[in-house]
Amino acid sequence: MIRRVLWLETEHPMQLVLGLTIWSLWFVTVYGGLSVVCAVAPPAPEQGALTGLNLVLGVLTLMTLGFLAWLTQRCMAAARRKRGRLRYMSALAGGLYLFSTVGVAFAGLPLLLLPPCL
Amino acid sequence: MLGLAGCSGDYSMLAPSGPAARDIAWIWWGMLGFFTLVFVVVVGLWLAAFRRREPRERSEGEVRRLSRRWIIGGGLLLPGVTILILLVFGVPVGQRMLTLPLPGGEEPQVIEVIGHQWWWEVRYPDTGDGEVITANQLVMPAGEPVDFHVSAGDVIHAFWIPRLGGKIDMLPGRVNRIRLQADEPGVFGGQCVEFCGTQHAHMKLYVEAMPPADFDTWLSARQAPTDVGEGEQHQAAREAFNEHCARCHRVAGVSQATVGPDLSDIGSRATLGAGVLAMEDGAIARWLVAHQRLKPGNLMPVHDHLDAETLEGLGSWLETLTP
Amino acid sequence: MSDTQASGHHARDKAARLHRELEVVWRNPRGLRALTVVNHSTLGLRFMATGLVFFLVGGVLAMLIRTQLALPSQAFMTPEIYHQVTTMHGTVMMFLFAIPVLEGLAIYLIPKMLGTRDLLCPRLTAFGYWCYLFGGIILLSSMALEMAPDSGWFMYTPLSSGEYSPGKGSDFWLLGITFVEISALSAGVELTVSILRTRADGMALHRMPLFAWYILVMALMIVVGFPPLIFGSVLLELERAVGMPFFIVEQGGDPILWQHLFWLFGHPEVYIIFLPAAGIVSTLLPVFARRPIVGYGWAVAAVIITGFISFGLWVHHMFTVGIPHLAQAFFSAASMLVAVPTAIQVFVWLATLWLGRPRMSLPMLWILGFLVIFVCGGLTGVMLALVPFNWQVHDTHFVVAHMHYVLVGGMFFPLMAGFVYWLPLVSGRMPSERLGRWAFWLTFLGFNLTFLIMHWTGLLGMPRRVYTYDSAMGWDIYNLISSVGGFMMSAGIAMVLLDLALHWRFGRPAPPNPWEADTLEWGLSMPPAPYNFASLPTIKSRHPLWDNPALGDEMARGEHALADASHGRREILGGEVLTGRVRERIHLPTNSWWPLFAALVLAVVCISLLVRLYPLALGAFLVAVAMLLRWSWENGGHPAAAPLGDDEATSPPLHSRTRGGPARFTMCVSLMADGAFFLSLLFGWFYLWSVSPQWRLPAESPLDPILLIGAGIAFALGVLWLERRLRRLYAGDETRLSPAFYMIAALGGLHVLLLVALLWQADLAPTDNAHDAILLVSLAYLLGHGLLASLLMAMQGRRAALGYVSARLPMEPGVVALFWRYQLGIYAILAVSLGVLPRVIGGGA
Repeated sequence: MIRRVLWLETEHPMQLVLGLTIWSLWFVTVYGGLSVVCAVAPPAPEQGALTGLNLVLGVLTLMTLGFLAWLTQRCMAAARRKRGRLRYMSALAGGLYLFSTVGVAFAGLPLLLLPPCL
Repeated sequence: MLGLAGCSGDYSMLAPSGPAARDIAWIWWGMLGFFTLVFVVVVGLWLAAFRRREPRERSEGEVRRLSRRWIIGGGLLLPGVTILILLVFGVPVGQRMLTLPLPGGEEPQVIEVIGHQWWWEVRYPDTGDGEVITANQLVMPAGEPVDFHVSAGDVIHAFWIPRLGGKIDMLPGRVNRIRLQADEPGVFGGQCVEFCGTQHAHMKLYVEAMPPADFDTWLSARQAPTDVGEGEQHQAAREAFNEHCARCHRVAGVSQATVGPDLSDIGSRATLGAGVLAMEDGAIARWLVAHQRLKPGNLMPVHDHLDAETLEGLGSWLETLTP
Repeated sequence: MSDTQASGHHARDKAARLHRELEVVWRNPRGLRALTVVNHSTLGLRFMATGLVFFLVGGVLAMLIRTQLALPSQAFMTPEIYHQVTTMHGTVMMFLFAIPVLEGLAIYLIPKMLGTRDLLCPRLTAFGYWCYLFGGIILLSSMALEMAPDSGWFMYTPLSSGEYSPGKGSDFWLLGITFVEISALSAGVELTVSILRTRADGMALHRMPLFAWYILVMALMIVVGFPPLIFGSVLLELERAVGMPFFIVEQGGDPILWQHLFWLFGHPEVYIIFLPAAGIVSTLLPVFARRPIVGYGWAVAAVIITGFISFGLWVHHMFTVGIPHLAQAFFSAASMLVAVPTAIQVFVWLATLWLGRPRMSLPMLWILGFLVIFVCGGLTGVMLALVPFNWQVHDTHFVVAHMHYVLVGGMFFPLMAGFVYWLPLVSGRMPSERLGRWAFWLTFLGFNLTFLIMHWTGLLGMPRRVYTYDSAMGWDIYNLISSVGGFMMSAGIAMVLLDLALHWRFGRPAPPNPWEADTLEWGLSMPPAPYNFASLPTIKSRHPLWDNPALGDEMARGEHALADASHGRREILGGEVLTGRVRERIHLPTNSWWPLFAALVLAVVCISLLVRLYPLALGAFLVAVAMLLRWSWENGGHPAAAPLGDDEATSPPLHSRTRGGPARFTMCVSLMADGAFFLSLLFGWFYLWSVSPQWRLPAESPLDPILLIGAGIAFALGVLWLERRLRRLYAGDETRLSPAFYMIAALGGLHVLLLVALLWQADLAPTDNAHDAILLVSLAYLLGHGLLASLLMAMQGRRAALGYVSARLPMEPGVVALFWRYQLGIYAILAVSLGVLPRVIGGGA
């Protein structure tokens, strides 16, 4: 899938849904991973927010963040180069990637604040 | 109509009596103030757009600049900053109601509450020899955190004492935990807030917070063997109880069934029928005669086949059960 | 007579002949045959009229509720009746009013706005309507029989289960709603495909009217959002009917699974309702601001974002079920995030007003009412997204107030604006300003009186769904005010109805394009002809009627594309998704009894399940499948649809002469819905496995590995063969096509047989534990799909033998191939999830 995203032209209509799809996948992974680990092997509540689980999910969040930020930059740059319909679609895709990036950062924020399994 | 234990404001989350409820009430007032401002400004701007005189012609660049200013300012920055503040400062407030280890390693008092259609079973675990079970009343120590372990015996219910803090669902087959604290001794209202069937409306919990010493006294009084009125006076009533009630109700020292509410200390409770009747002389007999009219659809069978004398005798015996 | 006059006459004659021809091809039959109509305008209006009736029923139920709660300790209704009334109020308003009416509006408007003559699947529109009507009637009949569902409109189990709701109420809900949802899914699929593939020539995505963007996202949300509820309803009905314990803790099930499935649908549903309404605002507002919308791209981005994010919010309805606080915080954050696209839209609208020259009129008044109420509801929504605050107000009247602010403000007020705005298009008459203003103010003030105060009642601790309250609680005066407001609002709605009744008689005739709008529907005659456009326009900007006010007349004179109906086919143009450039001519199926008959037989299935006559249900189901297949027989390359001619125009070609065209798209979108159902199934399996408190995985998987692999290989061979044969067909080789298709179908049959053997050998005890129950459902799902795949392939074999599939008519097998690939994919995933993983991870978990 990553290769596909990289090769896809920035004005392709799929670009409009890819960023938010990545956001959704990240969201489901983080929520699902948390739920399963909490059901199977919850870390002790004394540890607060500094558990291995928070760390793993945090790293995943940062990686997703980086990937989305790169995609945002790619579409934004293309939008500056292109004209007309191509510019329009690239800019729209860039905006949606930007929102997805911010969305990952924002929804990932509680990982810093809360203990995982209570 | 019915003399309830509650009085106006007993269920109001805006009259907080505990730290969790107080924090949330503050959040509410803060959000109300700020959001009212946002609301007035947004609606005001819309109305103002209609009131303006004919605008002058604008160049395309000007339109683009103006519209970006509107959309980025109002559509991105305003909600963005608001929700960031809310998330960072608001969400950790909920920590108070989580059953985290207490600083200093103390163990908080644990009270188990089990929801049934349409009454509350309240248990005090780790109370030494005698098991303490009561129903539709919850007595807790004031001024210290109390952990509630809640579950359900049939359908889903929810446990909520609005003046102390948030609610938590009571699920069959699972135990949920919530920590609440009452600042001062007092009486609060509790109620079921997950729709649980016909008499969901009449599933009230009478909550009393006592000074810790009084609480200990209360608890140990219930651990001591109860005086179940061995005398002649209630002989007939006890027999009637054994015949007609004991298959569902528990009275410590008399019967062990737990289908219906525990009656071991019913004479000392403030209400009957989970908040339907205030406890006063003759209230139990009245309940026994008319409970399907007072709380239609409740799961206790009618006792029309018993004569009035037996029901009255039962009522007056049960009223003596006050540890 | 001068030359110009002569040519003028000539043109008029030609136009008149064109309209006569189109009329013959497209007209609706009268009398009993009106039941066969498939025209989108007629069906859109039927949807809306039926929705209006259900709305009035729901409104009467609301008034009953407010009467009961007006005073403390009232005995106006018994608790049993009250709970039926509240449950039905919610159910009727959500499932029978809000969604179908908006679908109806979209069905009516979308082809007109996109410059085409009908939706892509007209018979599906009709089928959807009948499913909606029959499902609604079945659901409402439960009230007449005094056995209406009474567990609240989200049917939380175990309260709705066989043990605690032994009556038929829950069954009515589960079966009736599932039936109605077939209609929503059909609308979702065909609206998606129609918007993507049947726009006017040149209407690139970025020139599409904003309304179409909103409907596109709504339709896709329906496609993905409704299957989880259908899946949940199937499970709950199986539990109630035959005792498969999906939600019973003691037997390894979990009632929380129902809540997840319900809200996975339930939250997106709120946006499914809101988005089309916001689309109405985005369409009307520029017209009354007399300038193009400012920030079109921002609005499009906001709509897409809303569509996605709304699927990440469902747990905010479940903040009190005891999910880890951190997980709640994710959903809290996501719920707050959705405020951003909403705010973007509010400020896009504001900027448009600010930079335009707004004029006040009746539709605008409703939009202002929408703004006031919706902004308020949105702000309380952000409050509710905050976990600790939610723990306090959840399930109180505060939430009831919030929800009505969002739904009535976010859906009903824009709907009324749209109603007033598009009324002239339907009736050719203008709405009454004066009566309309009275209706607005009564509704607006009544609404706010009812629900503003209700926030306060909730904060004072009044839970939702209590049938009465005691005077000592101190809620009396607030409830009385709410009830007075409720009756005021119903007076307002009565005024709307009065206005509507008078309108048809006394309304002032409407001039052409009465609001000076920019979208294509206003270029039509009022009311529009059944074929909408005599000729299909070419689009160069977002505002065709502002660019060229005479466009309507030009189209009516037949000066644009497809101005010919002498072939007797209902034709529209199919275009590229991105640019809207024409790719093919699509011939649409015409009026038919099949949609009605199929829906009727499905109603028989539904009723026989209700009364538990399972053999009859099975028989009727098989008849329904047979009817659907029979219905499909005369489509595509069948000569009854479009006989092959020797001198056919090839640019653009007829769609049945292409390799898939819009049919491929329709299959893909349908498979998206199917895939959402499949993902719900997969979610159910893994959820129960990992979270359910008393789940037991058997030490040894009951699925025989050899049969499992064998069935997979048989089907994989079928797919490979099919793909190879297709490539040869596309290269023009049609030799021995039919035998090849039969052989492939036989491989599918072998797959089915091996699956049956697998099921037989597994010896499941589905009424004993949840593990076996969900395994059985999964295998039944595979089996059903395998059977359908084989059946469709065998039909392809027959069609190839009859010449309906050939090198010149290569469309159909490619569409069936998509279904085969899908089945192979889900088979592989399920085989790993059900067969391999339990072996790897081990039982007893």
